[in-house]
Amino acid sequence: LNSTDQGTTRHSIQQMYDLTRYLEHQLHTLAASYLNYLGPPFNEPDFDPPRTIGAKAVPSATVDIQEWHSLNDNARLAANYQAYSHLLCHLRTMDGADAAAVPTLHHSLAHFRASLQGLLGSIGGIMAALGYSLPTPEPPPITPKPVPPNFLRKMDDFWLLKELQTWLWRSAKDFNRLRKRVPPSAVMLRLESRRF
Amino acid sequence: VQRHSQQESHVHYAQLGTDVTLQCGSVDPEATVTWTANTTDLDASHLNGSRLVLHNVDLSQSGQYSCYEGTSWHLKYRVNLKVGTPPKEPVLMCRSNNYPNGFYCSWHLPSPTYMNDTYDITIIHDSKEIACKKDIPAKNRCYIQYHQVFSSKKYRVTLTATNPLGSSSTTISFDEFSIVKPDPPESVVAKPIAHNPRRLQVTWQYPSSWPDPDSFPLKFFLRYRPLIIDQWQHVELSDGTSHIITDAYAGKEYIIQVAAKDNEIGTWSDWSVAVHATPWTEEPKHLTTEAQGTETTTASTSAFMVAPTARPSDPDDAGN
Repeated sequence: LNSTDQGTTRHSIQQMYDLTRYLEHQLHTLAASYLNYLGPPFNEPDFDPPRTIGAKAVPSATVDIQEWHSLNDNARLAANYQAYSHLLCHLRTMDGADAAAVPTLHHSLAHFRASLQGLLGSIGGIMAALGYSLPTPEPPPITPKPVPPNFLRKMDDFWLLKELQTWLWRSAKDFNRLRKRVPPSAVMLRLESRRF
Repeated sequence: VQRHSQQESHVHYAQLGTDVTLQCGSVDPEATVTWTANTTDLDASHLNGSRLVLHNVDLSQSGQYSCYEGTSWHLKYRVNLKVGTPPKEPVLMCRSNNYPNGFYCSWHLPSPTYMNDTYDITIIHDSKEIACKKDIPAKNRCYIQYHQVFSSKKYRVTLTATNPLGSSSTTISFDEFSIVKPDPPESVVAKPIAHNPRRLQVTWQYPSSWPDPDSFPLKFFLRYRPLIIDQWQHVELSDGTSHIITDAYAGKEYIIQVAAKDNEIGTWSDWSVAVHATPWTEEPKHLTTEAQGTETTTASTSAFMVAPTARPSDPDDAGN
């Protein structure tokens, strides 16, 4: 990358990081209203249910700490890209009919999904800019399945929100690390001028 | 009278404020005996046959009680009475000040039991029990190492306190990110800036316990005020470990503190040790010429670290 591209990429990474932080705050509010909409026990702070079968399909952000430290930028971006591809599919199935009964919630969900789609696009763009190939989209494990009983569907939604929150937290760490590793264009200019 | 004092010693635990009856071993309940408490004879009013009855015991009645056969002064029984209380619900707190290495849990009892209390802690995460390594110096504390991070599953910690009079337990559950609370920033230094009567430069360092500033950067919260004013001014800084205060009152001594928080998760640290500094001030003109010849900077810098006169209020409201 020449210095101009470098500068653009660094700016894009900063924007991606800022969007991730924005999504964290947005999700915090959305999750609170959605869990209140689901009602007890889902909105109780100590609620810690087992993961249902549906929830197991949602990509988990949990990672071995040594392994996470050893991931390079390409691997981190790819893991994020793959996760949000799946999470967006799950998010679409979250838009249950009864959610429409609460328009504000319905609107917040749609807005959040659009923002998350934007983040996915941003990650893809930066991977391309850094010369990384996009991970081949695995078919998300969402096969049309019989609609689970209402309580289990709510459990799936609960775990989806939880995983989204954890992924955004992990992404913020990944992207913050990335933006430090792509030097500001000024530095690149000095490096280049010294070379001639 | 020579008292024969060879006898195996027994222990009897009694709850504070209750009535206690001590048997004289296997002696006939109606036999004539003498009881002593720590070698002091007890008068007959406490006796019910050969049994010793103590009403509404208090802590001072803990001690060694001996029972002698009335005529031969032969020691028949000896018991150590321990008065105390069963443990109340322990107060349990877990915190990660060196994220993502791990977290520690510490506990205490809300009130003393005057007994040997033992503690048992179990930590469950993702349906698995995790070991909690006892912290040798600090008795009521243990440490859990993270092997995985970014977990969406809660940690569930149960602590049981037990002593001879009973037991009590507490359970808390929390998310990995919610217990992250760094230690306060270290090496806080505040200095005047020459020829700038309204500025102070403040520098600090990451807490040495924070293991990975690159992957887990901290943001900081600086508060400062002149000693003569109670109202703090605050500034939040997301990058770097220094700041220049540009709106200081000229000539006034300032008190400055810093707090830290992970960029995304957890809560603010406690405030750092307070430091003091006074902005640079102009040299008064009326001094004699040779004094004026040498450029002197009067900088009453007392940039030293002063132990806080009062513990800074919890900065959690700092974030609001």
